[in-house]
Amino acid sequence: MDILIYGTVNSIALALMALGFALVYGISRVPNFAHGALYVITGFIAWSLLRGLGLNYLLSIVLAIIAIGVVGALIYQFVLIRVRGMAISEIIASYAIGLAILEGLRWGGFKGTTYTLPVFIEGSINIGDIPVDLHRLLVIAIGIAVVAFLWLFTHYTRIGLALRGMAQDERAALMLGIDSDIMAVVAMASGAMLAGLAGIVLLPLGNIVVEKGYDVLIQAIAVCIVGGLGSWMGAVLAAFLIGFAQILTVVYLGTHFQMVVALLAIILTLILRPSGLFGMQKELEERV
Amino acid sequence: MLEATGLMVFYENMLALNNVSIKCEDKQIVGVFGANSAGKSTLMYTISGIMEDIRKKEDMAGGERITVLGQVRFLGRDITDLKPSKRAREGIVLCPERRRIFPECSVMENLRIGAYLATSSQAKDTLEYVFKVYPPLERLQKRVGGFLSGGEQQMLAVGRALMAQPKLLLMDEPLLGLSPRIQSMLVRSTKEIRDEKGISIIVTEQYARPVLPIVDYAFILENGAAVLEGPRDEVLDNPDVRSAYFGVS
Repeated sequence: MDILIYGTVNSIALALMALGFALVYGISRVPNFAHGALYVITGFIAWSLLRGLGLNYLLSIVLAIIAIGVVGALIYQFVLIRVRGMAISEIIASYAIGLAILEGLRWGGFKGTTYTLPVFIEGSINIGDIPVDLHRLLVIAIGIAVVAFLWLFTHYTRIGLALRGMAQDERAALMLGIDSDIMAVVAMASGAMLAGLAGIVLLPLGNIVVEKGYDVLIQAIAVCIVGGLGSWMGAVLAAFLIGFAQILTVVYLGTHFQMVVALLAIILTLILRPSGLFGMQKELEERV
Repeated sequence: MLEATGLMVFYENMLALNNVSIKCEDKQIVGVFGANSAGKSTLMYTISGIMEDIRKKEDMAGGERITVLGQVRFLGRDITDLKPSKRAREGIVLCPERRRIFPECSVMENLRIGAYLATSSQAKDTLEYVFKVYPPLERLQKRVGGFLSGGEQQMLAVGRALMAQPKLLLMDEPLLGLSPRIQSMLVRSTKEIRDEKGISIIVTEQYARPVLPIVDYAFILENGAAVLEGPRDEVLDNPDVRSAYFGVS
């Protein structure tokens, strides 16, 4: 029972971490290696607004997420746009930005265990005989809400549909009047906001520490590779796979093996099925 | 309506378009015929501005050096420097070679992505019109694009282009690889679209025979140069053309 509950929480947490990465890669084929840094810095922004300026918690969260969206758009507009289409340069550029943010934070004195965000709701309830704190249940609810929102957004709104078109065939989208640069900025901004949201939701479960940035990045990449790069639904399903595998590992093998799961999943996927478990693209060969 | 003058396109040192001038009057169907690698697709890409995007990407990735010279005027305005998305907004929409429909989206979603530039009432009207011209699409609405047959994909590609509210529709080899029956249906519908919607159309093909009956004016491309142009009947009567493009000696 506890495996089921904590597995679900862990899986949804992974999905939240990975969705932003999957979104950006799916639409503009930019592997955003600054993802983990955006996750962590949102936590610090919210913390600064909350503790430093003494703003209301909800207001600080909203402001922090908007701020990170702007940061994402700026990163694309001023850095990534210059290296579009060169995979290695995109990785190096975005990773460098991530490093700069994370190590800049460390240099600026944001380290140690003093930085925590309060949980949204205090308290816990018992499911069966297992105590679960309410914040973890809230994580599940928010995760489901985010996935539902993304699905609705990409199936029923003009911009969402245009983003999907761009993801599948950028040139065909261009012919229909969809501006690929604007769409890529939108994708990057929303990817950053998703990373930020994940940070805001998940960071109250622990301390805000710089190291989490690297950790989140690896988890997100693992989930996306297993799910099939660029496939959002694949990412969600892969998050459950890896999420439960991690919890099972923790229960039966020990906590320190948890990180191995994600890395092993990457290796196994690349050996057995390089396009990922749910990569659709390969099945739909062009018919002539 | 459209007037392209002195178009020259180089891929590195290879000349793909050599001083091609082409024009399309209001509500005309213009045919551009030529063999493989005569420069038909390059011409379509240059008019629709996609060439500019390809050039930029190649340039950034350090790939092929592409040079585009010449001028494109549309509705009396110089659009040579406009991005492809801006040109689509002006009304030049390309229905590309090999269709390039979105393979993971359903037929309906493909059409709705096509309607990115349309207002919601325009989208509604055009959708009705597309289903009227291509009735099979209405039945296939929920089918995923990648699983359609070639003919269905072509109908979808034209329908999707129509959703973008074109004033000038560029069709690059719309009949490629399709059965004669579908070909004649597509040719008929192309004329219908011109007559009913008043959309000017430029269509390229390797084989002139199926398309020529609906064409008002024709250009023949050879090795990147326009070697012959004229009203349909004049081109039809030219002995060289007859032997080269109709198999009539």
